[in-house]
Amino acid sequence: MQSMKILNLRYDFDWSIPFREPYLGWLITGVELTFLIAAVTTILSLFAGTILAVMRTSRFRFLNIPARVYVEIVRNIPGLFWLLFFYFVFPQMLPFGLTDILNRYTYYSVIAGILGLTVDNSAYVSDIVRTGLLSVQRGHIEAAVSTGLNRFQQIRYIILPMAFRTIMPPLGTRMIHNFKNSSLCMAIAAPELTWATQQVESITFRGLEVTFLATVFYIGISLTLAIIMIRVERLLKIDVTSVTQMRT
Amino acid sequence: MEFLTEQLANWKFYLIGAYPEGPLTGLTLNIVLAVLSITIGLFFGIIFGVGRTSCRSYLRHPCGLYVDVIRSTPLLLIIFWFYFFLPVVGAKMPLFWCAVISLSVYASAYQAEIVRAGILSVPLGQMEAALSTGMTRYQAMKLVILPQAFKKMLPSFVSFFNSLFKSTSIVYIVGIIDLTRTGIIISQRQPNRIYAAYICMALGFWISCYLLSFASQLLEKRLGILDYESYKPEICRQDLVLLPLPKTVKRFLVTQK
Repeated sequence: MQSMKILNLRYDFDWSIPFREPYLGWLITGVELTFLIAAVTTILSLFAGTILAVMRTSRFRFLNIPARVYVEIVRNIPGLFWLLFFYFVFPQMLPFGLTDILNRYTYYSVIAGILGLTVDNSAYVSDIVRTGLLSVQRGHIEAAVSTGLNRFQQIRYIILPMAFRTIMPPLGTRMIHNFKNSSLCMAIAAPELTWATQQVESITFRGLEVTFLATVFYIGISLTLAIIMIRVERLLKIDVTSVTQMRT
Repeated sequence: MEFLTEQLANWKFYLIGAYPEGPLTGLTLNIVLAVLSITIGLFFGIIFGVGRTSCRSYLRHPCGLYVDVIRSTPLLLIIFWFYFFLPVVGAKMPLFWCAVISLSVYASAYQAEIVRAGILSVPLGQMEAALSTGMTRYQAMKLVILPQAFKKMLPSFVSFFNSLFKSTSIVYIVGIIDLTRTGIIISQRQPNRIYAAYICMALGFWISCYLLSFASQLLEKRLGILDYESYKPEICRQDLVLLPLPKTVKRFLVTQK
């Protein structure tokens, strides 16, 4: 109480608000949707980013140039723009019947959020994967060619597994960033956690408690993900010293 | 392409809004926000970054905690914190300064990480040499370590500025009229042609970010930081002295600068 008077807070905290019935339900749905959006965008952007990176390293112009143009366009435009684009503009560009169906669908905002975040994230992922592909030593690729693997098999069995080991740290950082970016879906009214906190605040005028809980949630999940990524890196690391010791 | 020429009539609204008579809005507001928050963030970023590399644990751990907490919170929630919390403490601020504070808190954590990486990339011998000449730790940090570290940090500062500039578009959610909000307002005037305003909004961001990344490439070249993809080793005449080859062949091998 004393500290409150020193800080001159014009606010008495009511911690029962986030645990009352309609609000608790919103928050739990929000947490579920946040996880859903983050997981789906992570998987989709990993696939899209890998394909883009392979296209960018290819020799053929018709594969190389479209991928480079895509990355140059997406990397220089904020991620929020893509969310707004897929929510407001994309349905209008479709033929007439589809527009109505999409606009009537309640969860279109979630789909738009997933699409927008995937478009934004896959460009960054492709940049990271490309550095991994370029870091694979020339000798390994030559060895793969001389054993008779074709180009697809080389990429699938030789280059990508080695590339992913080296890029694990930046990729993990990017995925945590993507998890945090899922809060932007609030702008298009996808009912995820940040949107739920704003909804509670606009009805009860008590935003601080809910915002505090949401912040703790985001920090907790991001730090947990970071710890998991460090474990995975250690697991995947090729221990050079042990290999040479085994040989001798 | 006629919609673009139609939108060109709004160019002033996209760029500065009604600035000399009214409040500053549009793309210039984004740039002002980014520049202000990165300069404030740089000041605190250096303090926290140097604090993180300190050998005193009572400095190192609080700085590390601050950086970790801010870096794992979404920017949107940081903005909401200041948006809701400042009035509670009793500080009444205009929205613009609210956004500047939250963006610079966000920037300071990321820049602390860049500063720390830069300091750690300077070899340890530099610090030892500076200390053995009789400098204090403060002098050594200021005169020896930081100038060397800054040269290595500059490219990552520029790329962080680029990402911060893009992040400033988020502040439209709390009601600041930046380029994103301007685009939305204009798009709502012509509901049958929403895409025109969105394309102009994207172009505004794209051109400024692209110019920035172009400038950063020039800067890296000027500082002599090599682009490893286009790096080709040069062969000088001295390298070929021992080769038993005729002179005409050797001249062919030497790469011209």
